[in-house]
Amino acid sequence: MPPAEADGPVDRGVALVRAARRGDTLALHDLLDHLTPYIARICRPIALEDGPDATQEALVAVFTSLRSLREPEALYGWVRAISVREAVRVAGRAARARPAELPDVPERGDPQLAADIDDVLARLSPAHRAVLVLRDVEGMDEEAAAALLGVPAGTAKSRLHRARQSFRRAWSA
Amino acid sequence: MVRVNDGDGVVIDDVRRLRVMGAGVRGARIVERVLPVPLDVVWGVMGDLEGGFGEFQPDMRSVRVLRRDGDRVEALARSRYGLRARFHGVLRPGWCWLQSRFLVIGMAAVDEGGRTRVALTGGVRVPGRAALVPFGARRELERAMARLAERVVP
Repeated sequence: MPPAEADGPVDRGVALVRAARRGDTLALHDLLDHLTPYIARICRPIALEDGPDATQEALVAVFTSLRSLREPEALYGWVRAISVREAVRVAGRAARARPAELPDVPERGDPQLAADIDDVLARLSPAHRAVLVLRDVEGMDEEAAAALLGVPAGTAKSRLHRARQSFRRAWSA
Repeated sequence: MVRVNDGDGVVIDDVRRLRVMGAGVRGARIVERVLPVPLDVVWGVMGDLEGGFGEFQPDMRSVRVLRRDGDRVEALARSRYGLRARFHGVLRPGWCWLQSRFLVIGMAAVDEGGRTRVALTGGVRVPGRAALVPFGARRELERAMARLAERVVP
């Protein structure tokens, strides 16, 4: 979800984008501070140990094309899409991509399983980690997440479902 | 839910952050060098706005800090030709971003195994856009880097 300050009448990030595009580099500086934790929260669970690289590349991509953002109000959705794309790309480039086979994925909000999630995440492909991040961190449904990633929705959904079941079987065995 | 590691504070280091700023400011050049001196020594010069800073940055005769509020800083700089510039910006250990009506100055320094990676950017602003005049900027930055190295390397 966007940073907490996003709830105000004029969102801080949106105001900073407007000021930066008028030439205020100090606003651009503050935008960097504002967006970095948001982008890192998306990139880190997807790119794992390459999270800092992915975060930097996502920030560079965001800052390079800030001029092309037509509606500053669409900032967070736009940043989110770039971050996911860059994180998946960096993770793939690092040759840590696994076959697109989902092993064991726990049900959302199941606290007893939380400790195992890091291990499970590490075994997923970057694209599937991205689906989980978008769903659980960003609160998107699986279809929207799959669409953002260019993965067929049905495939993503059924794989997550199957994986969840296998996780539960393994857990209760 | 997916657990995201704690400690969202330090995500990318300050030199990387300066590269990101360079991507956002059209025409900005970044000059980097690793100086064989510890970070505290290097930043002791770079971050000393009223002292070392003016001795290596281009065309600074004197700098006076007018106000500090947390990491926010306001400073008045005079050039050798008597021109004055009022800078607003941010000064943190290892990081500085200053902007006046006509100028931008960006600096970052990070530890690299006992040595220090320094990155500099800045130059003359293009009115109405997040952009700098690119001509001659790299040469100025390289000169500033050379002066800084002379100042800190024994």
